[in-house]
Amino acid sequence: MNASSLIATKERSALLQNQRGLAWLLAYAGILSAFALLLISNRELSLLDNAQVVYMMAGTVTAAGALIAVIMGSDAYAGERERGTLVPLLTAPISTGDLLMGKAIGLASAWGIMYLLSLPYLWAVGAGGQNLGQAIFYLGLFGTPVVLGFGYLAMALSARSGSVMSSLLTSLIILLFSASPLLIGPGLRNSAIGKALDAVNPFSGALNTYDAVIIDSDPFLSQLGRLVLVLLWLGIMFGVARLSARRPAFR
Amino acid sequence: MLIDANHLALTLDGNTILKDVSLHMDKGQIYGLLGPNGAGKSTTIALLLGLYRADKGHLMRFSEAETDLVSIRRRIGVMPEFAGFYEWMSAREYLIWYAGFYGGLQTPPDALLARVGLAQAGAKPISQFSRGMKQRLALARALVHGPELLILDEPTNGLDPRGRREIHDLLIELAQQEKVGILLCTHLLDDVERLCTRIGIIDKGQTVLEDDLDRLLHDAGRPRYRLHMTDVPTVQSLPPSVNLIDWDGSWYTVEIEPSQDAGIAQTWESLLSLGWSFDEIHREKDTLEARYLTLTGGERATSQEKAA
Amino acid sequence: MKHLKYLLAGSLLLLSTLASAASLQLQLKSDPANPGHPTMGDWMHFNSVITNSGQQPIEGLVAWISLVQVTPGKEQPMDLEDWSAHKAVTGTALAPGASLQTQWPMRLIQSGDYRVVISTTDRNNKTVFTSPTLQFHVAQKPVVESTRILPVALGIPLLIGGLLGTQRFRHRHRSA
Repeated sequence: MNASSLIATKERSALLQNQRGLAWLLAYAGILSAFALLLISNRELSLLDNAQVVYMMAGTVTAAGALIAVIMGSDAYAGERERGTLVPLLTAPISTGDLLMGKAIGLASAWGIMYLLSLPYLWAVGAGGQNLGQAIFYLGLFGTPVVLGFGYLAMALSARSGSVMSSLLTSLIILLFSASPLLIGPGLRNSAIGKALDAVNPFSGALNTYDAVIIDSDPFLSQLGRLVLVLLWLGIMFGVARLSARRPAFR
Repeated sequence: MLIDANHLALTLDGNTILKDVSLHMDKGQIYGLLGPNGAGKSTTIALLLGLYRADKGHLMRFSEAETDLVSIRRRIGVMPEFAGFYEWMSAREYLIWYAGFYGGLQTPPDALLARVGLAQAGAKPISQFSRGMKQRLALARALVHGPELLILDEPTNGLDPRGRREIHDLLIELAQQEKVGILLCTHLLDDVERLCTRIGIIDKGQTVLEDDLDRLLHDAGRPRYRLHMTDVPTVQSLPPSVNLIDWDGSWYTVEIEPSQDAGIAQTWESLLSLGWSFDEIHREKDTLEARYLTLTGGERATSQEKAA
Repeated sequence: MKHLKYLLAGSLLLLSTLASAASLQLQLKSDPANPGHPTMGDWMHFNSVITNSGQQPIEGLVAWISLVQVTPGKEQPMDLEDWSAHKAVTGTALAPGASLQTQWPMRLIQSGDYRVVISTTDRNNKTVFTSPTLQFHVAQKPVVESTRILPVALGIPLLIGGLLGTQRFRHRHRSA
């Protein structure tokens, strides 16, 4: 097993065998459950169109996934440093690139688990309607780069600052800002500034795609521009993480 | 030579951390790296491990220039001062996992755990370990791959006297029988005197002393005594065999050249005749400490009682 | 004679106005494939035919679909956002006698009684022509079923919580 795989294995076990990791998953499932229960307890929401509900659930999965990814990313270097486990990794025969790759794969695995966990929720709110398959496919295609991009951003800040608190707060502010389309609704997004933000905001890109393909049944080709946007986001954030992880703060 | 470091200098974020550090050690040596807090010991270790790159100076490890840090680290075992672990794992699981970076364990995990005194704790989650047990496990981690060079930062912190003795014995065995070079970074001069064959003292980012301990102690010169005065003594016109080093309240430290004919007794008589009145005499048993204090501007090394 | 002159001038003015004004005929029909008793989530299609029945070509024709809820007590125009991505046809030219056939797809988002209508106008005339309206009823369908949601929303956190408890138990009882 190479060094990256060893790190990734450890990251996975940190999520599934460590109580802290399981608590994060529990928090994630709690967010999705709360939203699903809101749908059946709220009369107005329960009258929503089925596709609208699936769209909202896909957006919630992306937001909750990004939130957990930000927490995990902030912990990736700074948490290890604070718990005294970073130095043994840095003094082991492993390059900083391999260390980052292991962490990145670990984060991707965690998102894989969260994605799988979201499927029963999507089924529960969307079965019997149309475009459930579309929702699952596009959540994988657009949600993955958005979620992982936020995780890698937090990882970069974590490696640079060496402080979980500092990297977590900074990443959360950026995440909240990016996820604001989910909060502010379509009205404000139609303003000039809202449109400009939408054009460069990967979170908006994913949400607009969910809207287009789940609610309006738009074809795949019409989403290529947004796919490029979210893939660019992922690539840039991974590049930033690589730069920061070359010399992580370890003291 | 395991480490051949000459005139290393390092500046981080505009702060000069190391000005001129040299360190030379060979196989089978136990090297004590000493210095006050903030002197640059940990930074020196980080430089040796390739976590920083020196701005100036020349550094060779295992007689190789630093071209491939990964292969160099394969030959080094490190025990950092703060021993952190993934606490959901058991000690055995952790060692097997960590040894994966080196291509697997050299010895079975239980044998390794037994060697550091954790024979009964292999299946126990690390979260249930005491601080001393974690120190032992950190040493086991440093040994998973049979390193040629062992770098230990305060290895006996948190250990009871018995545990400390066991670790000392293990280090001596490693150095003498397996010819492992051990770089020991510590505040405990007792440990250094007991274990080390060579020492280096760093102060304010530069090496102020590096020598074999035997030679150092042999050359340490005249013995020192601490006298508890019952009255304020006159310090003028002291006998030539007496050199006043320091005083702290009623405690006076003197360096004495014993007379070859009459021994130390004659010196005490000379002092009494000068009007010195003292009711306690303590021999400064630790000449290394005295040397250390002189070289580092008087910061007293931590006693075992305080550090433990 | 004087009256005849005025009558002639008036008639000429009326004729010239009629000749220059666009004349459009609109037909709107429900697609035969539409469900007989539509419910929420179903698709419906409406077919319109817009014919230039005048003598002059029409430039810059705009046609759009409107939806009005006529459920008693809830009468209101509907925002077609989410109902349809195909809300208008723009910039079309129609020669005299030519027709434009358009299909308007619509997914039924809410229950209630609705009327749909197509309107048109063009670049040079201020008149708005409207088609006859079509009325339909959308039956309610529960989109979120508690029988599916409750087991998932409660079961998954319980499952992870159980895993957490098991880990904690195993952690406490592991020993050499």
